Amino acid sequence: MRKKILLFILLGWVLLIIGDRVDELRVYQGAQIAMYTIALASIVLLTGYSGQVSLGNGAMMAVGGYAAALTLNNLQTPIWFAFLMAIIASAIFGAILGSAAARLSGPYLAGTTLALAVGLPAIANQFSFLGGEPGILFDVGFPPERFGEEFTQYKWFFWISSVIALVALLITSNILSSRFGRTWRAVRGNALAAELAGVNSSRMKILAFTISSALAGLAGAVFAMNISLVAPGAYSLALSFALVTGAVLAGISSLPGVGFGALILVAIPEIADAIAGSLGSADKLNNYLPGLIVSVLLILSVIYTPNGPGENLRKLLHKKHAK
Amino acid sequence: MIRKTGGRRTWFVAALLAAGSLFATSLPVQAETGVSSREIKLGITLPLTGAASPGYNKIGNALDAYFKYVNDNGGVYGRKITLIQKNDEYSPQLSIAKTNELILKDKVFALVGPLGTANFTAVHKSVGIAKRKVPALFLNTGFSGFANKKSYPTSFTILPSYAMEAKIVAQFIKENLSDKKLGLVYQNDEFGIDALGAFKDAGVKFDVSIPYTSGTQSAATAQTWVSQLAAGGAQAVVFFGVTSATAPLLAVAAAAKYAPQWILGSVGSDPLTLRALGVPVAVLNGALTPAGNPSPNDTSDEYIKQFQEINEKYNNADFDDYVLQGMNIGLMTVQALRAAGKSLTRSKLIRAMETKGSKFASVAYSPLGYSRTSNVGHTGYYMAVMDAKGDRKPYGGSVVLYTTDSGKGPVVKSNFKRPAMPAKGLPTNS
Repeated sequence: MRKKILLFILLGWVLLIIGDRVDELRVYQGAQIAMYTIALASIVLLTGYSGQVSLGNGAMMAVGGYAAALTLNNLQTPIWFAFLMAIIASAIFGAILGSAAARLSGPYLAGTTLALAVGLPAIANQFSFLGGEPGILFDVGFPPERFGEEFTQYKWFFWISSVIALVALLITSNILSSRFGRTWRAVRGNALAAELAGVNSSRMKILAFTISSALAGLAGAVFAMNISLVAPGAYSLALSFALVTGAVLAGISSLPGVGFGALILVAIPEIADAIAGSLGSADKLNNYLPGLIVSVLLILSVIYTPNGPGENLRKLLHKKHAK
Repeated sequence: MIRKTGGRRTWFVAALLAAGSLFATSLPVQAETGVSSREIKLGITLPLTGAASPGYNKIGNALDAYFKYVNDNGGVYGRKITLIQKNDEYSPQLSIAKTNELILKDKVFALVGPLGTANFTAVHKSVGIAKRKVPALFLNTGFSGFANKKSYPTSFTILPSYAMEAKIVAQFIKENLSDKKLGLVYQNDEFGIDALGAFKDAGVKFDVSIPYTSGTQSAATAQTWVSQLAAGGAQAVVFFGVTSATAPLLAVAAAAKYAPQWILGSVGSDPLTLRALGVPVAVLNGALTPAGNPSPNDTSDEYIKQFQEINEKYNNADFDDYVLQGMNIGLMTVQALRAAGKSLTRSKLIRAMETKGSKFASVAYSPLGYSRTSNVGHTGYYMAVMDAKGDRKPYGGSVVLYTTDSGKGPVVKSNFKRPAMPAKGLPTNS
């Protein structure tokens, strides 16, 4: 445990140094990567460990984002309290939804959560206090002055996102390697066998849904901070799909892979830019290329590496070690 | 002795530093971001694909076409303009990501014509447009909230606001339709509420008033609107909403042989969008609408004629209001760049907008409001009547211009004469 904490502190230190060395666009992208890392961890916990497939993570993120924004705007609380409220609100929402979800499985659960991803953000249009289509601003303010003039807004976002991501990952990794993690895997492997061994499988599933929602809600609040806004358009179906793709690429049951998955999600538009640029007709191609790349990667990954490329890489390394 | 040597060294270093800094200050100042001796880089975010893209996706190419025309005729003081268009699919977070790319990666000098109210609100906050002192010229939105020079010190609007529009319609009703029973259908958000406030302030009372929530418009809801309007005996109906609501409203009313005098807000009356929604443009016949620009088909207008020629040679798109808007933003941008002078910087561009912007040539009939204390562009409308093709002609045969502000200021008839189109559409101002 102490080793793990040291590792995370070291990781934070490395991020701090990197943040100082790269240009501002990369710092902004770094903040986005941190946000995706949390969101992907929520999918890994839910799908990879407890075996429940959800396509509605974008909706969970919306719950967290709106909770944080409403808290900050209406109560003028400190930032950390807004993030805490995002966690609590989305956890409660997840617990309610999880109670229903525990009765469903496989494609039925996927379908239900998909409907949620489509429907939930649109609710914001119905209630004026949610700001309608333009959304509401989420402003965590400028960085503290003692950091100096050179300390940009995006670096501030990057710091906050990174710290939250590191702490969230540390806690998630502890949960996964605890009794809960083992029980979830048992339920995923064979629910009946787990029940015979004395596990209340539906309660465990609801618990997984709750914790996963809390993580997604936290990611949603970090996302809102990075773009300074919560709006229905921000938590789109495309976001939910991108997250599933990222999780599959990360290796759906591997927590260390989430960083890799998040990196790919942020890199895809850049890669698309580069390809479109080298092919000449940049404008038209560029509009559709990112979506195309995401879809192709998802299909290829499911066909050739169902557990994610990360998993295969690890196996490959193990083989080498064995030799 | 040792101390003495140390002192000498300190003096030596200090002298070297002083000489160095003198030398450094005499060097030419570092070039401005996005400007070189041969190029000026500008950026725009707009929906090129997606549900909101029809119409709007033509603005970027029209703007680019105008810049290419200027470039082929010597550019701006010898510098060629490069326009980088980024697709934000009308989504705020994509708009932020793409604006970040424009400013941090492509390192553009300024933003021109960024599109959408929610998008620009988010971009301005998240990207820190004001803090970075990036000029954002000619925002493509009528939201009156941007007309706040303190909050948006580097941004400049171009369109008259929705509030101005409603005030002018209210004035027109008082002057021309005061004996009629009035109806109002409006979108129940900032857009329509702005309008409602303006009507109330002007003392215009509606006999039938129907709010609707954005997204609920359909043929079925239009049916209820029409029966409410007809039951209330409304003889003139004001509509403040989007085109996808205009279409069912007019179609259902025509089918029910209910024919009041329609007054359609400028947002919801675009004939091409109506046609794209599968509604015959003929339903617009006889409808009144506030308009800022001449009709894009009016070749007797010097601006339209010139822009059509450029469009034919450099763009080859159907010449409509969107293409006209793109070209006109191009024309105004070139004037702003020229007014900022040969040694172009961001702060000089902003200063030029403030001090010379109100004199720029623009296709719209109303005066421009730019000054040291105002970032507001056009300030007025005239009332136009549409024919069966959706083409608009000035109501009463000639343009009667009304000007006003977004606040409590009065609506006044204006004799303002817009500046002439620069020869060949190429500004020579300084």
